[in-house]
Amino acid sequence: MGNRMMRRHTPATIFMHWFNAACWIFLLATGIGLIKNDDLQPIGGWYADLMRSIFGGGANLLLAHEICGVIWAAGFLIFGLVGIRKYVIPFVREIATFSPSRDLMWLVTKGIQMTLGHKALATIARRFGFAARIPDQGFYNTGQKLFAVPSLLGGVVIAVTGVIMMLSTSVITDPTIVQWSILIHFVTVGLVFAGLLIHIYMASIAAGERPAFISMFTGTVPEDYAEHHHKLWYDEVTAASGKEASG
Amino acid sequence: MPNRLNAPISRRNFLKWSGAAAAAATAGGRTPVLHALVPANEPGTASQVEHKFSVCGMCLNKCGLIARVEDGVVTKLDPNPKFLKSRGMLCARGNAGVTQLYDPDRLKYPLLRKGKRGEGKWQRISWDEALDYAADKMKIIAEKYSRCGMLFTPGSDMQSTFVHWFAEVFGSYNITTHESSCLVSRNRAYLDTFGEVPFSDVLHSKYIIMAGANRFEALITPDSIDLMTARKNGCKLVVLDPRYTKTAALADEWYPVRPGTDMAFFLALAHVIIMENLYDPQFAAEKLSGLNELADHVMSCTPEWAETEGDIPAADIRRIARELAAAAPAAIVYPGRRTSDYINSTQIRRSMAIVNALLGNWDQPGGLLGARKVGLASPELPEAPFYEDNPDDRLDHGRAHMMFEEEGSFKHMRDAIIEQQPYPVKGWFVYKYNPMQSLANRRKTLEMIDKLDFIVTVDIAMSDTAWMSDLVLPAPSSLERQDPASGLQGSSACACVVTRDPVVPALFESRPVFDILKGIAGRLDLGEYFDFTVADYRKQQLRKLPDAEKALHEDGVYYNPSKLYGVYEGRVYKTRSKKIELHNSRYADMGIEPMPVYQPPRQIPSDRFRLVIGRNAYFTHCSTQNNALLHELMPENTLWIHPKPASRLGIRNGSTVVVSSAAGRGEIKAELKPGIRKDTVFMGSGFGVLSTGMSNIFGSGACVAELLEDYADELSGNSAMHETFVQVSRKGA
Amino acid sequence: MMKTQLAMVIDSSKCIDCKACTVACKVENQVPEGHWRNWVKHAEPDADRLARGGKDTAGHFQPGACMHCEEPTCVRACPTGATYKDEADGSIRVDSALCIGCGSCIPACPYGARYRHPEKKIVDKCDYCSARRARGELPACVVTCPTKARTFGNLHDPKSEAAILMAANSTVRVANPESDTRPNMYYIGATAPLNWPVKAQFPAPISIWAKLAKPLIWGAVGLNALGVLVMLGKQVLMADDAPEAEDPENQKEATHG
Repeated sequence: MGNRMMRRHTPATIFMHWFNAACWIFLLATGIGLIKNDDLQPIGGWYADLMRSIFGGGANLLLAHEICGVIWAAGFLIFGLVGIRKYVIPFVREIATFSPSRDLMWLVTKGIQMTLGHKALATIARRFGFAARIPDQGFYNTGQKLFAVPSLLGGVVIAVTGVIMMLSTSVITDPTIVQWSILIHFVTVGLVFAGLLIHIYMASIAAGERPAFISMFTGTVPEDYAEHHHKLWYDEVTAASGKEASG
Repeated sequence: MPNRLNAPISRRNFLKWSGAAAAAATAGGRTPVLHALVPANEPGTASQVEHKFSVCGMCLNKCGLIARVEDGVVTKLDPNPKFLKSRGMLCARGNAGVTQLYDPDRLKYPLLRKGKRGEGKWQRISWDEALDYAADKMKIIAEKYSRCGMLFTPGSDMQSTFVHWFAEVFGSYNITTHESSCLVSRNRAYLDTFGEVPFSDVLHSKYIIMAGANRFEALITPDSIDLMTARKNGCKLVVLDPRYTKTAALADEWYPVRPGTDMAFFLALAHVIIMENLYDPQFAAEKLSGLNELADHVMSCTPEWAETEGDIPAADIRRIARELAAAAPAAIVYPGRRTSDYINSTQIRRSMAIVNALLGNWDQPGGLLGARKVGLASPELPEAPFYEDNPDDRLDHGRAHMMFEEEGSFKHMRDAIIEQQPYPVKGWFVYKYNPMQSLANRRKTLEMIDKLDFIVTVDIAMSDTAWMSDLVLPAPSSLERQDPASGLQGSSACACVVTRDPVVPALFESRPVFDILKGIAGRLDLGEYFDFTVADYRKQQLRKLPDAEKALHEDGVYYNPSKLYGVYEGRVYKTRSKKIELHNSRYADMGIEPMPVYQPPRQIPSDRFRLVIGRNAYFTHCSTQNNALLHELMPENTLWIHPKPASRLGIRNGSTVVVSSAAGRGEIKAELKPGIRKDTVFMGSGFGVLSTGMSNIFGSGACVAELLEDYADELSGNSAMHETFVQVSRKGA
Repeated sequence: MMKTQLAMVIDSSKCIDCKACTVACKVENQVPEGHWRNWVKHAEPDADRLARGGKDTAGHFQPGACMHCEEPTCVRACPTGATYKDEADGSIRVDSALCIGCGSCIPACPYGARYRHPEKKIVDKCDYCSARRARGELPACVVTCPTKARTFGNLHDPKSEAAILMAANSTVRVANPESDTRPNMYYIGATAPLNWPVKAQFPAPISIWAKLAKPLIWGAVGLNALGVLVMLGKQVLMADDAPEAEDPENQKEATHG
């Protein structure tokens, strides 16, 4: 089996991924920093004070957060409209296609494997009578899909509630919707952030993920990596260009 | 915190750029408070800030103020801390002067009536056209009906003196003033007792009885303020009022006196003071005339008798008399101002003046004071021409025994104009006066208007009187004017001179009445009588006070350090007997009761209520209700009615009722008040307007003038506005 | 440097309810129609006393405004600290560039001192006329009052009028017993009415955030972080964990997924 490279990500999707990551980091940092209320601040008042001193006050912090938020939302809006056929629909199809039995098994087997190791997986699989192998995955594995869907939906919710908060001082007469938006914005960010921790580990720290991480820059992955980690996708691609699959 | 809103990239600018709704107001956006006339600045961002002196024109008190002008816009009026008469304050109306200045409803251009009177159809004309028209009309009337064919009614204003002067040189004796529906009965009574109308030294008083006055709401400086200070220093306040006013709320004792019976109370006080020898015998011997006659007269006026008349317990009357006398001479029966209440209001005030006399409080700290010397001089004006074809007297002459010739009686004047007897009056010049709202019996005022060929009103707002006029001329607010000097009596606070210079230039095409009169005079060959400026006039007024101009310029006020107490030392009283007259022999000669004789007020039919009127601290009489800021304090008037009769009539709090009298009818919301007598109802003034030019209040409330029947005090001709009985019913009942 | 707590000391027995203070404030601070930064409350005797008349009929008027409390519940309701207690002078302020007008602070004030500006759409309230103070003037309501019922100053400055009156008189505060925010508005002697401030209400989103959402997110993040730590731990500790080394039977089939 040769180790030729397969194209996995386009330049556009790569850009949007890092665009998203960069915005998210900035927005998260500033957003959490905006919470200056001991009852509500998740990581302590010191952080809100730190961010304020970096940005020169709460108003500047808010402004920075809003500017980045608008850039982030506008970026995705434009990308989503322009690339609806080329990128958005295929992407959504990929992340939203679940096969309950396969995905559930993936969660179980992968979960055990990542935490307790292969040996433990074999043992437990034998004990409970299921195959000690990770089920074949498509373009995205179960875990990636389970993070992508809430990220996408969450992103929409975060953007919409963000816009509502921004419109609060211009068009909104009853501020109740603004109050709820702040809460929903916080909760959604928090939940997606929770998933983000797994995503960052799995994508960049976990053993064997190096090719995936590199592909988020180069756009390509080695064939054997693709075959091992995303067999269904690999088979699809090689079948489509049958001559490529020759060894 | 630095003002982020002026930073190159402010959050607000950013929101605009990122497509947030264009409807976003800019920082410091235009609030309804200052209306669309004024570009409102974010506080603290103006480049040019000035402070200018003036005196408030929102009521008669003329409190000194400092106007803050930012980039040519008046943004705040603050009290002048050096202004002693107001004790350095500015009330709600004074503050609302900014809103009057920038009122979008204010008159802007000369208007000529197009349709019928009261239709509200106007044609904007130029000042030249307007003055030509006015002069023309006056000339026609003068030729056809003599100069006295024009009636002049100047309101309470620092330029009203020019209206008086114009009337004089034009040649009409027919001038009536606000006083003739306000304080002429009080003036009559005190003139005929003390020979002078006094001011009260409230600040130093130790006992004050207030009957028919409401000083904590009807603000008069310094009295209203000094009353509180005096109370803090131990002064006792007893209030007689058929309704629980804020003055009643802040008094030591409040008696819901039966309206119209005050004389019984005061005669009883006199009775106790005399019978128990609670007066100073030396003062009495030296200064009082007619004590024996009075003693006989009040012999039967016992507190027990007074109780049956006025519902005030006899024991309390007796006690109050003793307490009052014990506090004398620093004790006052407060004379009040608006005494336009009963057909015997002059005699009622005589009884009050008599009690004051017995207290020996004249010219004493805490008592009644004569006028202090202010020192303004009369400008030297040319002698007014004489008009051969003029009648002998003013139109309302002889209709009241003791009318003040220079104030007249508007009620009687109106009757005479309707009757066209003894001669016709066909023209009317109105300045800053609104009898359509302020005078009892609006239908009669309309009847009078019907008889007139020409009505011109000079005002800042389209008042109901302006609404009914033929020519409406826009006047500027006091903040836009240069005015003559005016002398103010501040009792123990001061005797002072005030004046005005423009804080901002006159808005739109408004012109001070002086300019208007000068313009008309010029067109009537009377230009020589108006051949001066207000500045000239003022200079002449101040010519005997060398320090005045500097003080006015630097402090906004000039104080004359004139004598306060002891002004009457070595002087006689300006009466026939040269003493204080408990018994007035001149009255006797004229066939009038020389000492007040009690008459019970007219019986109220069982299905009716007596309607009383009054004031509050938010409005000035019948004007300012439309002021956007003051309007928020009270958007409409209500009918105060006691819950018991209300429930009998099926009236709930806030429900609409129909009020009717022999004069007219109105619909108004009811306000249930346990603090009003069951036989009495009350409503405030200035609502139920006909004029759509008062856009905030048009359609709200009811017009009290429509309901009041036009009685008058027999002696002074003062309007008697508490004599009306009304029927009240639930709307739809 | 002297600690500063700006406050008002009011002799409400002097108040005649002329509303000069409310109108002066409106003009000075361009307060929009339908809203007020300050107020005068009133207490009237009951109907029986009014019916009897005489001595027992006293009423009372009570001027008030934002009380710039020591323990402000409004600050507790604000997510961003856009409203805060100024350390420099003890006043409660609204940062107009940070406030987005969510209005959470409004029901949190027992005195109803706050409102959402209908045009600016941010929260507004008494700020002791900060622009006037910057010019060395007193607040508009204090200066304009006919009877000088309101005094103002730094409670910690013995020369200030407010401090002098505090020292010379017994004072009371008006507070809701369930939400005693320790207001910095002191009434000399006695005042009425007393029972009008309401319990501070925090809007549902804010209380949900504090009581449910914050622990929920902590839980979710903590759980996931724990998962990451476990996986990381396994990765570090079981460095040679590969399917080939352990189970030849599964060699061909086992894959990293």
